[in-house]
Amino acid sequence: MNSFPGMGASGGGGGYDQNDPNIKAINAMMESCFGKSVISGVMGFGMGGLFGIFMASMSYDTPFHTPGGPGSAVKPIAELPMSQQLKVGFKDMGARSYSTAKNFGKVGLLFSGIECGIEGFRAKNDLANGAAAGCLTGGLLARSGGPTAVAGGCAAFAAFSVAIDAYMRQPSED
Amino acid sequence: MSFFGMGRPQPTSAEKIAAVEAEMKLLTEMANRLTKACQKKCIPSEYRESDLNKGESVCLDRCAAKFFDVHMKVSEQLQQESQQRSGGGGFGIGG
Repeated sequence: MNSFPGMGASGGGGGYDQNDPNIKAINAMMESCFGKSVISGVMGFGMGGLFGIFMASMSYDTPFHTPGGPGSAVKPIAELPMSQQLKVGFKDMGARSYSTAKNFGKVGLLFSGIECGIEGFRAKNDLANGAAAGCLTGGLLARSGGPTAVAGGCAAFAAFSVAIDAYMRQPSED
Repeated sequence: MSFFGMGRPQPTSAEKIAAVEAEMKLLTEMANRLTKACQKKCIPSEYRESDLNKGESVCLDRCAAKFFDVHMKVSEQLQQESQQRSGGGGFGIGG
């Protein structure tokens, strides 16, 4: 009874034995909505960090003078010793890159989790999942800006997501 | 020859083999029908990748569960119907 409907395919995908319960558990964990959203969030965090470093190098609003406090006077940064200048520069770059990384990570986490949830609920795989997930993500991220911002974020994210999805689903040329 | 079993005669081994064969045929046919129906319903015919994505897996799970549910319910109804008919027919004949 249990031999003909399901064939026990011998493993060999990449050298792993597919029938190993541990491998199956890990694969199931990675394919679950939670695993997908965590992976997306981490990758978004990494990409956001790199992007933030790049954008920080082009930023024009870094201060020219030290903040100056009750103890020290205000000094232009260019007069500090080189190690101090580097420290200030790296700290600024790190803060910008961290904030961008956090934003990208949040976007990735939310979008991936919501899209996986909608797809699991609808049991269908088409462009509407990405559109709805993009709308909810954009709306959630813009919720502190009032209803216009929420609507704008929803529309923008949904359009972006549909565009990327449509491009990825194009039939390949070969 | 002496047989101790009063009542129904035991099936011979040939009959047992035939019964098992018939059951296997039924099960194979049911599995084929299930596969065909769920594939037609759940998996669109443009194959962009070889792995089942989440929507298709969920759809197949639900399709198989519903198929078996339908099969169970319909068989129950069929059994009730046949019992009623045979019981009613028996009373009709006897009365």
